[in-house]
Amino acid sequence: MDVIVLLIGLSLTWVLGAMLVALLVAPGPALAAGRGAWIAGTGGYVGAFLVTLWMRALSALHVPFGIASIALPLLVVLGALTFVVWRRSSTRLGAAWSSAWAALLGAGLPRWQRFAWLALLAWLALRFGLLFAEVWLRPVYPWDAWIQWATKSRVWYEMRSLVPFARPEAWFAANGAYFYDASPDYPATVPLLQTWASILLGRWDDALMNVVWWGLGVSFVLAAYGALRGFGLAPLPALTGAWLVGSLPLGGVHIALAGYADLPMASYYALAAVATLRWLEHRSAGNAVVALLLLVACPTIKTPGIVWVLTIAPAIAVALLPRYGMRTLVTLLVATAIALAVLAQTNPIVLGYRLHLDFDPAWAALFESFFMLGNWNLLWYAVIVVAVVGRRQWLSPALLPMTAIVGAGLAFLFFVFGFTNARAWVADQTTINRATLHLAPLIGLWAVLVFTAWATRSPAAAPTPPATAAEPA
Amino acid sequence: MLAFAVALLVCVLGYLAMAVPASWFPSASRVGFAASDLAMSRGTAAVEGTEFVVTATDDAGMALVVVNANLRSIDYPVIEWLARDVPADAEVRVIWRTDYAPAKTSSAPAEVAYGRVLPVDLSRHPDWMGRVTGLGLAIRAPLAQPIRIRGAEAKPMGAAGVLAERFREWTAFEGWSGSSINTLSGGSDVQELPLPALLFAAVALASLALAGVARWRPRWYEASPAWTFAGLFVLAWFVLDARWVANLARQVPLTAGQYAGKDWRERHLAAEDGPLFAFVERARGVLPAPPARIFVLADAHYLRGRAAYHLYPYNVYYEPYRNATPPADRLVPGDWIFVYQRRGVQYDRAQQMLRWDGGVTVPAELKLVDKGGALFRVK
Repeated sequence: MDVIVLLIGLSLTWVLGAMLVALLVAPGPALAAGRGAWIAGTGGYVGAFLVTLWMRALSALHVPFGIASIALPLLVVLGALTFVVWRRSSTRLGAAWSSAWAALLGAGLPRWQRFAWLALLAWLALRFGLLFAEVWLRPVYPWDAWIQWATKSRVWYEMRSLVPFARPEAWFAANGAYFYDASPDYPATVPLLQTWASILLGRWDDALMNVVWWGLGVSFVLAAYGALRGFGLAPLPALTGAWLVGSLPLGGVHIALAGYADLPMASYYALAAVATLRWLEHRSAGNAVVALLLLVACPTIKTPGIVWVLTIAPAIAVALLPRYGMRTLVTLLVATAIALAVLAQTNPIVLGYRLHLDFDPAWAALFESFFMLGNWNLLWYAVIVVAVVGRRQWLSPALLPMTAIVGAGLAFLFFVFGFTNARAWVADQTTINRATLHLAPLIGLWAVLVFTAWATRSPAAAPTPPATAAEPA
Repeated sequence: MLAFAVALLVCVLGYLAMAVPASWFPSASRVGFAASDLAMSRGTAAVEGTEFVVTATDDAGMALVVVNANLRSIDYPVIEWLARDVPADAEVRVIWRTDYAPAKTSSAPAEVAYGRVLPVDLSRHPDWMGRVTGLGLAIRAPLAQPIRIRGAEAKPMGAAGVLAERFREWTAFEGWSGSSINTLSGGSDVQELPLPALLFAAVALASLALAGVARWRPRWYEASPAWTFAGLFVLAWFVLDARWVANLARQVPLTAGQYAGKDWRERHLAAEDGPLFAFVERARGVLPAPPARIFVLADAHYLRGRAAYHLYPYNVYYEPYRNATPPADRLVPGDWIFVYQRRGVQYDRAQQMLRWDGGVTVPAELKLVDKGGALFRVK
């Protein structure tokens, strides 16, 4: 029974987010150009973040965490959202379901494409089925998960409140009012998601509470498919792209060995970037709100989320100032170079990282990690190929904003691991891959889009089947 | 698909041309030496099951494992010692004697990667001649933990042998470990020819070849080079993904065997730190209701962190990154001290006094004691 409540509760969170996104994004047929998949996938992330915001509010109001205090108000909101969406929708529910089912079965695709479509879906189902078994069975396993994340969720679940964690001096001074773990300053969103799952279960179970990671993984593949369809890809290429970014081996490990914040960081960041790009394209207030929600979530997941959010700024600058796009980028690059030169002469410490310039990247370890080991499949080979062959496409007005984000993200990673004492984590193959994971899904989407743009513009290109109402969404 | 297969074959043949040390088709077959065949010439070791466990070096910091052999050197160009947990900074040499120069002990350096000794190609070594009568492994290093040796293998390393080795590396099971969350090797820890590199080389070669055909002989191949590359790339990605999924499919039954059908407590008792969890559960029976303050002491930071984790929602304090005791002057009566496998902590039962590093004493009452663990209440 408790497991059923867990699954229903998490589904409620998911549907709540999906209804909000459905309300916010531009009205239209639910299945047009991946709209339904984008709503469902992004909805999972928005819903999860909303529930943590509500838990923060409850804690500030000194209302103890409980199913009633958390879920009932959300249910009311969900009811209201559902009503509004239903009133606005031009599609009847029954028709929408049958369209969705037909789309899932690949109706309307040519025969070989339909075969590939179903095979890919089956393959994804196998992957996520195996991952579900791992998440379901294994108690919190990896190191940081039990020294700095699940520590908080355990305390917050048992205390039914967001009791503070503090550094040693403050902890001693508080005489029991504060708690302590290895990283007391870390943000609350991830442990709150575990706390929410534990409250739904009605008991502490550090295996089952991590089913949230699995849900985020599934949501991300849906959202990635919806995003690629929204960017103009046909159903099969879009599903292939979603599978590529959803099958990064290290991402799979972070679902199976759930408990780290890196996968949520990566997926929230990628979706925030895509949502921002959608807003830049459509300029609708609803898309802006979705983007804003996802952007705000980033720093509440991991502290570097602040920097990841900043990497989206160049895209906004490029898109809002189209006449000066390239000039803006070049200016930013020069400004960055000057900032680096200034840092070479100083010794500041930001977010715990010593930012003194001391350029000495661990190239060999970096090469091994990206190209030889099993962390990324062929992602970085693809990025290089795409960057070379699609150089005109990634500088085109359509893709320049996304390129700006990816470039800024790569520059951030290169800066941290090339110039700071964090390079030691490259050499021992620890943090380098987890930090890279933050950018990897987005750069995967970028590579798919640039390659598609290049392939469809080359003279001998096979035409991409246009999206029609008869095709899968 | 055919182009990809041909390109893959070309890449593999190119690799074999570089990797096969002697004959492509040798007549000899592999010779193995089990742990029970090994002996210790310098240092201390014992056979534990199928492993020869080296626990200490001699006074000069050297461990020397030897085994009698009877091999024609020309048939066996490669020697591999199946050792693990070898320190990364260890100086390791493969040594041997031959009937050609019976009084001479020859040696060649061996590399260590991920705690393992890499195979050594001796085919071009001037002393690798005649009949080999004895093999050895010399390790010079401070041993923080025992080195485990499953044995040694003398390998003919023909083309089939090399390919079989690579295939074994690519398909080796990579179970979850503490480092899995940070990095994946994609098969065995050490890989002579990483599969991603091979597959991408084949994709690139096939794509370039087909692009060339499409450019200069368009009637032979009419498809778009771009989409050809995309198709081959997806195929190569699928191979890597299938390897990952197959590995996961091998992991799931192991996880299920360890945890399935158990409730939360039973799962933790079945976990790697089950004895610690069991002791924490006993301590809970003695402790007052949360949130009392508990200070955790253990030598290993893994055990300190795990003990603290299991003790929440008690108000736990511990040093995550260094093995240190809490400041005694900050302890107050009613605090609790949880000690697990921590050297240097003594308890005077008569005086009801706890003593630890630096001769610091804390008045405390022993509330629970068990194998390696104790729980005290500060008075």
